[in-house]
Amino acid sequence: MTTKRRDFLTGSLSAAGAAMTANLAHGQEHPDHEHQSVPSDPTLRVKALESLLVEKGLVDRNALDALVDTYENKIGPRNGARVVARAWVDPAYKARLLADATSAIAELGYSSKQGDRMLVVENTKKVHNVIVCTLCSCYPWPVLGLPPVWYKSAPYRSRVVIDPRGVLREFGLELPEDVEVRVWDSTAELRYLVLPERPAGTQSLNEEQLAALVTRDAMVGVARVAPPEAGGKP
Amino acid sequence: MNGVHDLGGMQDMGPIQYERNEPVFHAPWESRVFAMFLAAGAWRKWNLDAFRHAREVLPPADYLLVSYYEQWLSCFARFAGQEGIGQRG
Amino acid sequence: MVSAAEMASGVPAPGAPKATPPLTADSIPATLPNRIHAHRDVRVSPRFEPGQRVRARNINPIGHTRLPRYARGKVGTVCLDHGVYVFPDTSAHFLGEKPQHVYSVRFAAQELWGLEAAPQDSVYVDMWDDYLEPA
Repeated sequence: MTTKRRDFLTGSLSAAGAAMTANLAHGQEHPDHEHQSVPSDPTLRVKALESLLVEKGLVDRNALDALVDTYENKIGPRNGARVVARAWVDPAYKARLLADATSAIAELGYSSKQGDRMLVVENTKKVHNVIVCTLCSCYPWPVLGLPPVWYKSAPYRSRVVIDPRGVLREFGLELPEDVEVRVWDSTAELRYLVLPERPAGTQSLNEEQLAALVTRDAMVGVARVAPPEAGGKP
Repeated sequence: MNGVHDLGGMQDMGPIQYERNEPVFHAPWESRVFAMFLAAGAWRKWNLDAFRHAREVLPPADYLLVSYYEQWLSCFARFAGQEGIGQRG
Repeated sequence: MVSAAEMASGVPAPGAPKATPPLTADSIPATLPNRIHAHRDVRVSPRFEPGQRVRARNINPIGHTRLPRYARGKVGTVCLDHGVYVFPDTSAHFLGEKPQHVYSVRFAAQELWGLEAAPQDSVYVDMWDDYLEPA
């Protein structure tokens, strides 16, 4: 699937890079701050901490393994994509989703009653929604899994509230001037999901095929869902 | 607090660094930190607000430059040590 | 107590008490997604209602707050009442839960950023009751 998005810097943040930049931080004076000491490799510190917690009976190693497996393999944007596809094909479900997203999402099995309270905001021809957490990294885990690094980082968090159109442009999305942009800053315990517009030319697709088109970026609001390629396959 | 974490509206923070096909965790140690953090939610002596604040009081340059899970590790380790998580009651 | 020495060595001190029960794989479903859930089923009177104009207070607490600086002193409109939640400003410092209503408040982009912002754009911020005053 081609995107109109520009390729910009793609280097992944590495622990080694973090250690290097942390050395820069050491050069500054923080008389009122206790400096965090940054050893060369987090792996050793993490192993030591985990062993300690396990030895003290605070956590079970199997439990940690299961948590990792859940968020690496079981909970991710495919969940949100199914919610979106269901809303596209089933108007009654869409109405329930917009009225009480927590319950509607739970219908598909993606969050428990004790889970985060969800709100779904709908993109239309006239309204474009985009989600952020300017203060930290709050994100709708049950439907999107864990947030990407860019979502948690200073450039996005700082800019999208003040220059959402510029941020969307950087993602390759140019909005018409008559569209209203709504930025949702997740300052409390409500979690937001964008219901993107269904692209044109998808009438013949079934729910599963529609879900395959829906990207994480579209559900955060920094992209639109692209129509299937000319070849006909999503 | 009026810390550097309160980023909304700040300018000149640089381009958005987008990684294509980004993995959930960039290294196994990140996933272990993440799992321990979730497991800590079952402990009675901490809460999410306190943990968020622990990150907010990191030295400002560290907050902006040190990787996300490295920050968590730092906060988490300090919290476990300071708050006596291992004690009863 | 997990001591600094224990942290460094990865080995518990001899005779250190163990907490019981540990989090096991079986108990994971109950804790996933794992939060100390902030919603509270208590009756608290809301001070505001949807449609009402409000101003975010100009508070500058030294401790934890979820009222971003860009919204302080700005006027917006309450769009939704989300219900009652733990108040982070006190909760973070173990000074009590102080449950209160949280509202979705719409701020016009021009109100936040000046006349150069697009007139039809807006930022929605979730605000605790204590963050707001009538406008």
